[in-house]
Amino acid sequence: MMELVSLSKTYQGRRVLNIPALTLLEGQTYALLGANGSGKSTLLRILAGVLVPDAGRMRLPEESGQVGYLPQRPYGFQRSVLKNVTMALSSSYPRPEEAALAALGRVGMENMARENGSRLSGGETQRMAFARMIVRPRKLLLLDEPTSATDIAGNDLVEAALLEYQRETGCTVLMATHSLAQAARLCRRMIFLHRGEIVAEGPIRQLLDAPEDPHLREFLAHWRI
Amino acid sequence: MEVFAEALGLLFGADWELRQILWVTLKMSLSSTAIAVCIGVPLGVLLGTGKFRGRKLILKIIHTLMGLPPVVAGLIVFLLLSRSGPLGSLRLLFSVPAMVIAQVVLITPIVTGLTSSMVSAKAPAVMETAAGIGLSRSRTLWLILRECRPQLVSVVLTGFGRAISEVGAVQLVGGNVQYKTRVMTTTIMLETNKGNFGLAVALGILLLLIAFVINALAGKLQEERP
Repeated sequence: MMELVSLSKTYQGRRVLNIPALTLLEGQTYALLGANGSGKSTLLRILAGVLVPDAGRMRLPEESGQVGYLPQRPYGFQRSVLKNVTMALSSSYPRPEEAALAALGRVGMENMARENGSRLSGGETQRMAFARMIVRPRKLLLLDEPTSATDIAGNDLVEAALLEYQRETGCTVLMATHSLAQAARLCRRMIFLHRGEIVAEGPIRQLLDAPEDPHLREFLAHWRI
Repeated sequence: MEVFAEALGLLFGADWELRQILWVTLKMSLSSTAIAVCIGVPLGVLLGTGKFRGRKLILKIIHTLMGLPPVVAGLIVFLLLSRSGPLGSLRLLFSVPAMVIAQVVLITPIVTGLTSSMVSAKAPAVMETAAGIGLSRSRTLWLILRECRPQLVSVVLTGFGRAISEVGAVQLVGGNVQYKTRVMTTTIMLETNKGNFGLAVALGILLLLIAFVINALAGKLQEERP
């Protein structure tokens, strides 16, 4: 179980995140939804350790590498795609190239292993970065719109790879997405943020079918038009 | 035409004085560039990636020093190294080490400022991705430098270019002593004033050749490898 208590973050006098309490159940997949600027990326970046909160406590996996974070615009390093993936493994990891090729295979990129990782398209970079994320077992995956730049085929590959990886490792997933369809396909639970606050949290089907919160209802109305 | 013929004669005849001037010039420029890079690159990385109090003020000072007039740098080092100065006991004035010190004062802010700019442009994306896969701080810093490799080569080249083409500071603290502290630029000045254009033109051609060779080598280093 992972917990956040009294987490807050302020930017230039504006409170962008205020979460009194949140519990993430192990092995569960959460969709993180909300309008632009609602605090989704801020929450993920704080959980990943990229941003420091102004206040609050977090109980997350402590071992190095147990938390994986895929930013909205992942970086492709100036080295081969294969090396871009193996760099996520420690030097003592057994057969790193084999593991990297298997991870690349899951996102349909094994034939691009020798290409330069800094010269890929946006969608290819996202798929490579996703392979870098799943090349080793992790306890928590934090994904910030992991398929925002991929084409339909790439999207399907990443979604299938995520489901397979979660089945194998039993990791917890927290995924920000703007696609309700994707959220419904991949996630069992949903967290809805409005102006930095969690206004709805629970089973995704229940929240999508019978939303009680007015902000969530308004958000969903845009999708149903 | 006579001047060029004389210059080529000196170059191909491998004139002893010309070789000596070339040696002092390279020794001074390479040493000062190496020292400035050793100080300026880590400082630039720190300023480009760190978030600490006083960072903006330090950057403003560095940017001001990037435009430091060479004669002012020379004057500061001259006053420091002169007999009555705080470092006078070292007896370094009118020596190659004094010229190196003056050039380090001049080049280090340039190397620091340029490194800081290029690092701050790349660092956020690299640091976020590296944190996402659990890489250590030291490995992340190494990755940032590796990603900035082509720009880093340009920074070193800029530093070296400034060092080899500099006149004012080295003239002040080196004294342009024949066979000791005379370098290409100060010799060109002196010989031109004397009307001895042959040696001046020969040195000018050499300066351009060195710049060409250094740029060709840098181009090789800047080539990206997958």
